[in-house]
Amino acid sequence: MTNVMIAWRSILRHARRTIVTVSALFVGLAGMVVFQGFLGQMMQGFRDGTILSGVGHLQVAANPQYFVDGEFNPFAYGFKDSAAVARTLGKQPGVTAAFPSTGFVAVAGLGDQSATLLVKAYPADRIYFAPSSGTIIPPSDRFNLGTLVDGSTVKPGERDCLVIGETAARILGAKVGNVVTLMGILPGGNLQGRDFTISGIFSSPGRDKSFAYTDYATASDFIGMKEPPVLMVIAREVRAVPAIAASLPRSISFRTWKDLATLYVQVSTILGSFLTVIRAIILLVTLFILGNSMNRTVLERMREWGTLRTLGTKKQNILLVILWEGCLQGLLGAAAGISLGFGVSAIIDAAGGLAYHNGAQTYAVMVRPGLDSVWLNLVPAVLTAGLAAVLPGLRAVRLTPSQCLREA
Amino acid sequence: MTELIRIKDAEKYYQLEKTEMPALTGINLVIGSGERVCLMGPSGSGKSTLLNVIGCVDTLSAGSIVIAGLDAATLKDAQLSEFRNRTMGFVFQSFNLISVLSVFENVEYPLLLQRLPRHERAARVEEVLDRVGLKDFQRRGPERLSGGQRQRVAIARALVTRPRLVIADEPTAALDHETGRAIMELMVEMNRSAGSTLIFATHDPAVARYAARLVIMSDGRIVDDREAA
Repeated sequence: MTNVMIAWRSILRHARRTIVTVSALFVGLAGMVVFQGFLGQMMQGFRDGTILSGVGHLQVAANPQYFVDGEFNPFAYGFKDSAAVARTLGKQPGVTAAFPSTGFVAVAGLGDQSATLLVKAYPADRIYFAPSSGTIIPPSDRFNLGTLVDGSTVKPGERDCLVIGETAARILGAKVGNVVTLMGILPGGNLQGRDFTISGIFSSPGRDKSFAYTDYATASDFIGMKEPPVLMVIAREVRAVPAIAASLPRSISFRTWKDLATLYVQVSTILGSFLTVIRAIILLVTLFILGNSMNRTVLERMREWGTLRTLGTKKQNILLVILWEGCLQGLLGAAAGISLGFGVSAIIDAAGGLAYHNGAQTYAVMVRPGLDSVWLNLVPAVLTAGLAAVLPGLRAVRLTPSQCLREA
Repeated sequence: MTELIRIKDAEKYYQLEKTEMPALTGINLVIGSGERVCLMGPSGSGKSTLLNVIGCVDTLSAGSIVIAGLDAATLKDAQLSEFRNRTMGFVFQSFNLISVLSVFENVEYPLLLQRLPRHERAARVEEVLDRVGLKDFQRRGPERLSGGQRQRVAIARALVTRPRLVIADEPTAALDHETGRAIMELMVEMNRSAGSTLIFATHDPAVARYAARLVIMSDGRIVDDREAA
């Protein structure tokens, strides 16, 4: 207790030096918290966007091989009784929707133009395209497949309709209302052809050149599969996914969104590493600044160490006083910096967040650092500050009491 | 009078680059319990070094020192710390109060190291502060005290553990003549009432008057050892 008290009062007594010493930590961690809050929200948006772009929280297949090549060859992996599995899934706590999905590759022709399309199919009531302007609050129980730039989405009960990507439409010279002929290759090399009416044209970076969407009933009829190869599951929240996965019967093969959203996982890992590097740089700067400051403090207070030793204080207690001084400075700087970071984040949030423009649409990215920002920054900061005090501390106890008093 | 300190053939050298500088040479000294001894001599005569050795804050290069029956050379650093805390009180020329502690806390500090209960610490600190006339200054910080008051706090801190030996290195050197006189009278009075041994160093003959025994030093040697007049 006395060690902590002496350490605490010493850093308060030299307030100006303490402020200068912890300023690097203070500013660095404040920025870190805001940055973490911003990135966290960005990544959450990226994650949710990825999940609802057709990945789903879970994908359930009758055969695990489906996850290897089923997207291009669904015919080999149909369920025996998908409705029963969908019912089972729908009963799991945390599941919002479980619905079939299929897809096929087809050559689309219009006049003398043609394009290869990967047609994905979901029940029409699970397909959503965002309007091209205005405030967007995408539904959480449907796949958000892009921005509708013309026409309308596929409506329930409507057959042989297609929403096509705007680049593919440009290649084909297609407009809403045009009829395109799709030629699909079925098992055994059979060709299946059918006319589809373009009900809408969507834009989605990276997808609108080769993707098209139709309703599940049309697609399953077109490719002649009564049962889907995969069931999509949308959960109420991402946190529910492990519990849902754990509750599934062993006979069901599944992949979670994390298994399937490889780009998200890669970006998330890279950003996590980037944050760690930035944090390490901040802590390294702190280590040098605090170490230097503590060294000066220790040298200036040789008389104090000598006196304490003379009065009977043991070496380890002197070392503890100095370590406490380091740790407390780290704690002060980190607590103040983290508080400032949360304060700045709250102000940015109150002002409506940071605007992000995507074409005609404007998204607001909020800055909401999580509680993990506290311990992720606080604990390393305090430990680093303590580490910075080790060498100065050892320097103070290396001398005899009389040497300390002589050097004062 | 029982023997408290026995120094035999003590030598102390300081290493200055490649040469050894003698600070103490051939010191033999016996001091009994309750004695009031003044180490006197000019600057550099070895008074402070001998006090440091007696106070176990420095070690001998050769020879031995036995205090209260214990050979200081046989004690480890932690044992020496505890020994100093329980056996000795120190008064320094520059007071050496801990600036971040109040008067009360400065005096209480050696008792905290002894892990005495709070009520006992408080009683002993108040008693000793009362004796040095600073009972009303308990909550003050050292920086708000005069030099004489600071030295009184240092004396209170030295005596609060009821040590057998009080060591004072030039206790009046940083004080004016009048305050120095008052401090010496206080130390002598407290030494008498507590029955402890007092060893102090000075180069001021006016201060040396307060000793019962004078040990005169020069160039690291004891050149005279006699009863004070």
